Amino acid sequence: MATAVPSKLAHAEERRARSLVPATAVLAVAAAAASLGFALAASSPDPTQVFLMEWVAVPYAVAGVIAWWRRPASRLGPLMVAGGLASAFSGWQLADASAPYTFGAAFDILPAALFVHVCLAFPDGRLRSTFERALVTVAYTSAVGLQLVKLLLGGVDPANVVDVWRQPDLVATIEDVQLLSLSGCALVAVGVLGGRRRRSGRPRRRSIAIVIDSFAIALMMIAVLFVLAAFDLPGFREVQRATLFLIGLSPLVFLFGLLDARLARSAVGDLVLELRRDPAPADLRDALAHALRDPSLTLAYWLPDFEAYVDVNGRPVQLPTDERHTATLIEQNGERVAALVHDPALEDESELLEAVGAAAGMSLENARLHAELRARVEELRGSRARVIEAGQKERQRLERNLHDGAQQRLIALSLRLRLLEKRLPEEPEAQHELDAARREIALSLDELRDVARGIHPAVLSGHGLAVAVDSLAARSALPVRLAVEVDGRLHEHVEVAAYYVVSEGLANIAKHARASEARVSIERRAGRLVVEVVDDGVGGADTERGSGLRGLADRVEAVGGRLRVWTPLGGGTRVQAEIPCA
Amino acid sequence: MRVAIAEDSVLLREGLARLLDDAGIEVIAQCDDADDLLLKVRSYSPDAAIVDIRLPPTHNDEGLRAALEIRSKHPDVGVLVLSQYVELGLALKLLADSAEGVGYLLKDRISDVDEFVAALRRVADGGSALDPIIVSTLLSRERPGDPLAQLTPREREVLELMAAGSSNQGVADELVITVRAVEKYVSSIFTKLGLPSTGSESRRVLAVLTFLRT
Repeated sequence: MATAVPSKLAHAEERRARSLVPATAVLAVAAAAASLGFALAASSPDPTQVFLMEWVAVPYAVAGVIAWWRRPASRLGPLMVAGGLASAFSGWQLADASAPYTFGAAFDILPAALFVHVCLAFPDGRLRSTFERALVTVAYTSAVGLQLVKLLLGGVDPANVVDVWRQPDLVATIEDVQLLSLSGCALVAVGVLGGRRRRSGRPRRRSIAIVIDSFAIALMMIAVLFVLAAFDLPGFREVQRATLFLIGLSPLVFLFGLLDARLARSAVGDLVLELRRDPAPADLRDALAHALRDPSLTLAYWLPDFEAYVDVNGRPVQLPTDERHTATLIEQNGERVAALVHDPALEDESELLEAVGAAAGMSLENARLHAELRARVEELRGSRARVIEAGQKERQRLERNLHDGAQQRLIALSLRLRLLEKRLPEEPEAQHELDAARREIALSLDELRDVARGIHPAVLSGHGLAVAVDSLAARSALPVRLAVEVDGRLHEHVEVAAYYVVSEGLANIAKHARASEARVSIERRAGRLVVEVVDDGVGGADTERGSGLRGLADRVEAVGGRLRVWTPLGGGTRVQAEIPCA
Repeated sequence: MRVAIAEDSVLLREGLARLLDDAGIEVIAQCDDADDLLLKVRSYSPDAAIVDIRLPPTHNDEGLRAALEIRSKHPDVGVLVLSQYVELGLALKLLADSAEGVGYLLKDRISDVDEFVAALRRVADGGSALDPIIVSTLLSRERPGDPLAQLTPREREVLELMAAGSSNQGVADELVITVRAVEKYVSSIFTKLGLPSTGSESRRVLAVLTFLRT
């Protein structure tokens, strides 16, 4: 999925949403203070319980307010604030007076449901499927709906002020249903988190991974706690304390993560300095990855002419569509320049992304031009290789046609003439004619053979480079020392290119070098086939015109290789080709 | 003499069979691919097999591989390889370490029936036959301080025939001289080239070829 850097319109909405934050913060402080007040004023205060209530309520409210302020568009902030508020309100149960007590009792279970919601909606505030929405709905219904029913039926003794119809047995059953269903919801939520982990792996941002881990543990504790409560099992109190402690811990981890993100923003300053040094396009990614603290970051440059994204080397890439990556598009002067492909966790740091995108705009544009150039070079190289390959195939086909057609027929014809000749023992004149005809055919065959061999050396495709070079050396007009160390067959285009290097090289030596001998060596060296043709002749070969060296260089370069020629006057000539053959 | 032929051009295969038939040679199998040839050689143990170097399906090295397999698995079956091009590299591969019972000729040679049949018989009898083109190409090369330059024209002729696989008798017949004279030439040639004189006629083909190659 791709998201654009937020527009001005979005900023206006954010400001509106942000204006709600201070009021909410005041409300949360008031609720927490009230619960503290009620608890301390109670006849028999339980300091541990009081502390744990605040331990959950305050961090949630604080973390929620900060998250809301940072990302007003996300529901995560309000949700966390709600969790803090609900915890604070549920603390009112510690009051002696019946009214606040009843009010607090109504909120008794809600924090658990809110917690399930927060866990599922982290980190971007969204629930991701109908199933998750259904799960959260069940949790709320159970935590709020059943709680009200319980109160109305006279549950939650003794100070309940809203009991209209006392039904203790029914209340007990409803409470079991409520606790067990919420326990189930918590367990299913753990399963959902586990499923996400299986699909998209552990988040690359460590702070987020730790928050999610702490969520999962706390959810499991809730599940255990509610089962203990439903069946009146021993150890409830201890587990409750541990659970509250854990639940209160996760917003602290979250806050720590925010602080971490805060620090990251100072990295933008470093990035600007780094970019001023004008890093090579290949190093730009590292600089941005460092600034965004996302080692998985990749850059994709947009080439409008190709209507495609490419990497820094101009090779086409696809923007990812999975859950593990998100692409943020970077624009420069209203034109799309590149996409940052990053960890989805960075989405909740849109300001950082925006800042990095803005700082790197010019460098990205430069790198884009570089990538475009590479793409065009790559395209040219590809089309040159295809042209040569097509020519090669065509030559092979022609040679084959000659071999199976004209050459074969001429031989058969010569054979028939010979058989005919034998049938005319008494006619020497006719025999003479037939013999002359056969000699003509033999000459044609010789010529045809030379032509066909020139079109394509069949021995090369049939028997490989070593045998073909052996034959070249044998036909050469001057002695050739061979050192061919190639086992087995190589890729066809490699063999053909190497063959022509030797064949052209030897032909040049025969024509121009006035050498007494030639040396041909072929060996594999680090994924390349190195072909050398050396003579002891006059040197000073013309590498541009007439010598065929230019055409040879084209051929070698078309298969990604390189041809070099050393030809000092009076010092012989050395032609060396390196052809990739991994 | 009984021979098997592997050649995928029907025209040529049948012409060849007829020619051999006229020469009194029994063609016991006409095959159009290497597998069939190997089967027939296994089943009928002919005296010689004539193999086109380019055979289906790929027309690359099927023929050569069949020839090498017959050489290694049925050493008493002579193998005569035919090709539209003769390549020294392939000749060396085919001869490997023995020139016994092997021949490698240009396809064109078929129509010189008498010479072709003589070469075939030589191969069937454990001798060798190498296309004159290979020998003459090697001989025509310029070499600094060439030991070949010390040879008399007659010795050169003898060398050429010898390298192509002719027996002493064959050389004598060709040049219309006595076998004893041929033997004298041969030993003089070996001395001049600095090669150890060897007894077997087919072994000296390889020795000469190896010498000429460098």
